[in-house]
Amino acid sequence: MPVFVEDPAHFSKSRLKSDLVAHNVSLPPAASKKEVYVELHLKHIDQKNAADFSSDEEDQVQDALSPEDAEIPDPSGLTDDDLKAALLKRGVKAGPIVASTRALYEKKLSKLLQSDGHDQLNGAEKGVLYSDSEEEEEEENGDEADAESACTGAEEDKRETVEQSDQAQQESSQNDDFDYPQCFLPSSRLHVRASRHREPRPKWNSGNALKSSEQNWSRCTQIPAGISRASSVDQRSGLGSGLPQEPVKDTFKDLLPDAETTPTGIYATRRRPIKGAAGRPIQYAYPDTPASPTTLERREVERRLVPIHIQILVFLIVACLLYLIYVCVEDSSFVALLDSLSQGSESEEGLLVQTEAQDTLALSEQE
Amino acid sequence: MSSTSQKHKEFVAEPMGEKPVMALAGIGEVLGKRLAEKGFDKAYVVLGQFLVLKKDEELFRDWLKDTCGANAKQQGDCYGCLKEWCDAFL
Repeated sequence: MPVFVEDPAHFSKSRLKSDLVAHNVSLPPAASKKEVYVELHLKHIDQKNAADFSSDEEDQVQDALSPEDAEIPDPSGLTDDDLKAALLKRGVKAGPIVASTRALYEKKLSKLLQSDGHDQLNGAEKGVLYSDSEEEEEEENGDEADAESACTGAEEDKRETVEQSDQAQQESSQNDDFDYPQCFLPSSRLHVRASRHREPRPKWNSGNALKSSEQNWSRCTQIPAGISRASSVDQRSGLGSGLPQEPVKDTFKDLLPDAETTPTGIYATRRRPIKGAAGRPIQYAYPDTPASPTTLERREVERRLVPIHIQILVFLIVACLLYLIYVCVEDSSFVALLDSLSQGSESEEGLLVQTEAQDTLALSEQE
Repeated sequence: MSSTSQKHKEFVAEPMGEKPVMALAGIGEVLGKRLAEKGFDKAYVVLGQFLVLKKDEELFRDWLKDTCGANAKQQGDCYGCLKEWCDAFL
């Protein structure tokens, strides 16, 4: 893709870097200022473009292709920065290129180069078939440019460059757009799904911290996440995840017409997880906090027993009652008690009564 | 419904700490041994690789395939396990 120089100073540093790489210009040290890149860009690429402009249209196309051929670098021969720039040029935002990631990014770049080269060859042969409208535009603009240059002089050249620079911008943007659908549709779709995943995620994260009574809520949000995830795994290349989700939601409404509406519109009943059946249980119904079996047993036992505070309270109440009873018994005379109790036998008890009466009298005297 | 295994649930339930690489979902004895030979002997080292690849699924799956020869299902299980762990704890 020939770079029609509008003004390299307006390009970003990464764009300048990638352009330099494309033209096989050695990059300056990584920490160089942008001006260094701009200078190199102007020096090398402007020379090339000047040669291009002065030639015929056919030569232009050929020249357009030849920088492309030279542009196919060997991924393993590039430095880390070059590799990153080449990937960036094709719309891949690469992470750090370290020892363990380098091989992967090289493979990725070679895949992209193959698909790029494939497209350009096909584009040159059958430009109409593919929606490479830049090819058509190029031809159209080329015709216009020819007509204009045939008529007038230097002023038209300026307009040419402007047109071609616009065309180049369109081309580059279109190329980027084309690159995205060809290579990155699956991953972009996955990113979309990942972002969709993140929405229900915080809900279930907090749901984990809540008690069992609110597990319904967390389970309700699990199901669309589980479904969308399953559908993403199954149908990655094809349909969107929206399709499988809708029929499931409708069946829920059909099954549970009486259920209260939930804010998410999802309905679900609580299910007991089936032990040993992987996948059957509710997806994210993890325990509140990881607890050992002994603590769980202790909690169970403690729940069933009467709490300690209540036990102490009951003990105190009983103690007070007993004390009151003792005091009452002391106050009231034994005589009255015994009379009420046993009225039948008088002889023996009469003696006892007398002795006890004497005792109580003595006691009362003492008091 | 989902197809997360018991291993997945156990891994995602708590911080991984010093768990061995075989604790990851999708990584069994054979794969675990291969990873350990390459230096990825603990789950957190694989996590490091996952993060360096910016949690990108395609790249991580390719890396797993190249490093230990995991098949598609194993790749998916491991990726899902790590992704969920990161969502919960990172």
